[in-house]
Amino acid sequence: MRSKIAQRIIDETPKEVRIFVRKYGDIVVRINQLIREKGYSQKDLADKLQKRPSEISKWLSGDHNFTLRSLAKLEAELDAEIIYVPKKDSFHVQRGGQVKATASKAKPVAGNLPFIDTRKKVAELEEPVAA
Amino acid sequence: MSRFELEIWDDETEKVTFYTGRWEDSPSSETDKFFEKHYDLERDATQELMSLIQDTIGTDHGAIDDFFNRHENTVTALPHHGQVTIDEIKFYFPQFPLRLYALRVNNREDLVILFNGGIKSGATNKESGELNMKFIEANEFATKIEKALQEGEIYIDDETRTLKYFNGSSEIIL
Repeated sequence: MRSKIAQRIIDETPKEVRIFVRKYGDIVVRINQLIREKGYSQKDLADKLQKRPSEISKWLSGDHNFTLRSLAKLEAELDAEIIYVPKKDSFHVQRGGQVKATASKAKPVAGNLPFIDTRKKVAELEEPVAA
Repeated sequence: MSRFELEIWDDETEKVTFYTGRWEDSPSSETDKFFEKHYDLERDATQELMSLIQDTIGTDHGAIDDFFNRHENTVTALPHHGQVTIDEIKFYFPQFPLRLYALRVNNREDLVILFNGGIKSGATNKESGELNMKFIEANEFATKIEKALQEGEIYIDDETRTLKYFNGSSEIIL
């Protein structure tokens, strides 16, 4: 069961607000985790980022939220990803209403393995055999 | 002090069962009163707080320390403040106008009791008028609940992630 007012409010909450809150929650947890792992204090972090502690406090608080640039600096200093953006480049193949396939174009595991374009393969297989 | 009933406020999220308190003679729970009262006044903040409770805490992370770090006597105020270190780095919700008082049962990450709260209008709770009354009341609720847990008047049923009265009943009046 869920309180009726809770259900009503969450139903009326714009999707973008929920995405924003969730992503911020994820970032808070991630930064806390990394800082604990590194054993940093505010002063340590300020030293690493070559800023005064008061500037760090101001930078991370008040009326301005984290920017992509500030997150990038933190990622560089903490030497770990805070936010991750999927880098899949997928394409879709549909042949004559019979065959459907979606392939993800990703980096090969080893540098010497070529990426196989399945569209070409399908085309090759369907080429008429010469009499 | 009148008696109050502990009742489930939301048990539909994946990671947490949320309880609330309701005065025996009141038609609404304290947490419902809080949201009903502030929804029209502080709509954006209320929606963010609800998403924090249901999405971030209830669904994504559970009631972990990162979101329960604004300690105020026995209870904790939501939302969390932004300290990401033991010092002063603030992160998120720095100017958030609302406070909702909560208690993690035995500091567990899956059982939370929500109380009432209000608008943080002054620098401290005492300077925030009505909020201070809700703060005192929430601490009284919380102290009573913790005492009931210690004395075995209520216990945690791990299988169902719920609180039970000593006789196994789900109806808990303290």
